Amino acid sequence: MKKLLVLILVLALAFVVIACDNDNGNGDGEITGSVEDGGTITVWCWDPAFNIFAMDQAAIIYQAINPNFEIEIIETPWEQVDEQITTFATAGTLDLLPDIMLVQDQAFQLNVMNFPEVFLDLTDSGINFSEFGAAKTSLSTVNGRNYGVPFDNGVTIMGLRTDVIGQAGLTIDDFTSVTWNDFITLGQQVLEATGRPMLATTAGGADYVDFMIKSAGVSMFNADGSPNLDNNPTLREAIAIYVELVQTGVLVEVDGWDAFIGSFVNDVVAGTIAGCWILGSIQQNPDHEGLWAVTNVPRLNVAGGTNFSSWGGSSWAVTTNANAALAIDFLKHTFAGSVELYDILLPEAGALATWIPAAASTVYQEEHTFFGGQRVAADIINFSANIPTFYFGIFHYEGISALEVAITNILNGADIDAELQAAQEFIEFQMRG
Amino acid sequence: MKVKLSRIFMYIFLSVAAFLSLFPLYWTAVSATNTTPDILAASMTPGSQLIANFTRLLELSSLGRAFWNSARNAVLLTALSVSICSLAGYAFEVYHSKAKDRLMSVLLLSMMIPFAAIMIPLFRLMANMGLVNTTLGFMLPTISTAFLIMLFRQSTRSFPREMIEAARIDGLNEMFIFIRIYIPTMKSTYAAATTITFMAAWNVFLWPRIIMMSPDSVTMPMLISNLMAGYVTEFGVVMLAVLIATLPTILLFLFLQRYFAEGIMGTVK
Repeated sequence: MKKLLVLILVLALAFVVIACDNDNGNGDGEITGSVEDGGTITVWCWDPAFNIFAMDQAAIIYQAINPNFEIEIIETPWEQVDEQITTFATAGTLDLLPDIMLVQDQAFQLNVMNFPEVFLDLTDSGINFSEFGAAKTSLSTVNGRNYGVPFDNGVTIMGLRTDVIGQAGLTIDDFTSVTWNDFITLGQQVLEATGRPMLATTAGGADYVDFMIKSAGVSMFNADGSPNLDNNPTLREAIAIYVELVQTGVLVEVDGWDAFIGSFVNDVVAGTIAGCWILGSIQQNPDHEGLWAVTNVPRLNVAGGTNFSSWGGSSWAVTTNANAALAIDFLKHTFAGSVELYDILLPEAGALATWIPAAASTVYQEEHTFFGGQRVAADIINFSANIPTFYFGIFHYEGISALEVAITNILNGADIDAELQAAQEFIEFQMRG
Repeated sequence: MKVKLSRIFMYIFLSVAAFLSLFPLYWTAVSATNTTPDILAASMTPGSQLIANFTRLLELSSLGRAFWNSARNAVLLTALSVSICSLAGYAFEVYHSKAKDRLMSVLLLSMMIPFAAIMIPLFRLMANMGLVNTTLGFMLPTISTAFLIMLFRQSTRSFPREMIEAARIDGLNEMFIFIRIYIPTMKSTYAAATTITFMAAWNVFLWPRIIMMSPDSVTMPMLISNLMAGYVTEFGVVMLAVLIATLPTILLFLFLQRYFAEGIMGTVK
């Protein structure tokens, strides 16, 4: 029995020694490798119809410049990318990272701040970041250093069914550049005339309040990272508007994302608000051809309030495990330098650029029959130029969780100020932990 | 009269339970034949999109490879796991001692540690052993599970010791007693263990998602997750993939269900 115990202990010790053998990869942040020799670049991204397609097209364009270039795309859902960053950084196995990975904008700063050893600083890489919208690049910037090449546009848009609002005698122009108070009044007219709410959102979420405060350039956090929930008039106003939207019936809360998509695909509501990536879902019902129009979102009646915000979107990160010179040269000649690429991506994948020179392309000026002949892409690019810059902060997810609880309680009759105070204390507690 | 009334209530209860169990399967099967707008409008009748959805599924994913990977992983893991855990469970009970009891208690404690808590050290271990992206790396952490050892140990308690004694007197060695007498007698426990392990191995998601990073090692649950990752979800295609992923576990359960209940209760016939 003693021999067995000794054997077990020796084995356990051996495992611990192996497990503690720390190898942190080549996380020195230097740009190494060579462009001329070519090589294979490994990429993590997740949507065959969207960003994987975009990467494939970018590889074809770059191969014309560098014939020795190969690409290996590993289909990796965002949740998995997020998990792998944490796992590889914590386990010290950075040598398993790909060369390039797509990172959701809302989690970009958070990941760079938590795992700086994973991300390569691209500030002095030769990529011209001034050719991207300032609000977009700010999402992948930490301490003034650029860590991401912006990819898809997360401009918040309001899509409306012109036939439905028409029954209340309204047009898309009536809903353009309005305040939320105006919107609620107009929404009540539509509800009265058609019986349809204007919008739907997932119950228990904080997406609306999140994009509302972003439209005024306000964050849940101060620049020094401290939480700013209990003394934040913009946040208070956004929650008050949200509660009014629900209470007047202009916005309905639905159960889950599928029901949210179903709400506008199946004629339950008169429109939707989301990032412009929602355009693909809007076009899923062929019976709606020509019946939709897109405009900007309502604004908060506060200092700095605008009709422009962002919701979602993503950027390409180069990892410290990359053949950095090749990965950067590839991005420089494609996502940060090829009008030809964006000309393919818009009609084929519906990917709207954040690279400003792409907007001059004739493809972006084309009329879209599903949206009654509207130049949707050009309009959205114009919206994106006006989005206020915004700071997510390292505790963004915790902030959203606290807001979700607060909003649910407020809708059930709790006091706004007391709930925001509780949310503030919750975040402070989380940050201490 | 009283008996009849209770029987009526029992049938009502069982009908509701059967409906709740079968409806998701029906809904999945029907949705696999419909378009996204039909599914979002909660259509309950079969549509005509089955072939279109299947073609699209083949376009969007490596269905054949994922199915093969899942099948290979699940069959290998089930065979290894059931063999090793049955040996362990048998030994814990037949060669019984106080020290082994204590060791069993330690094993049972391991059931209380959530997988997420050991995932990162485990991954590091596998990475250092060069087992990332290998079937062995996927299987090693779950080949031996405390639950399965406990299941076999509990079942072995009802295994008649006289048979072991008689075999020993007849000159059969310990390994042959296990293979020729124990295994055939305990087939209901093996069936239950096979069903449980196969279902767990077929549906496992978190660990392969971390350890199997190559596109060649994608499994069915990963394929379904990939289909849901984009901005636009084609629900008909997803439902078809879910249906295909569900079929093997349903078939295995139907095939082995005769033994399943007996095995879980630890009875020996």
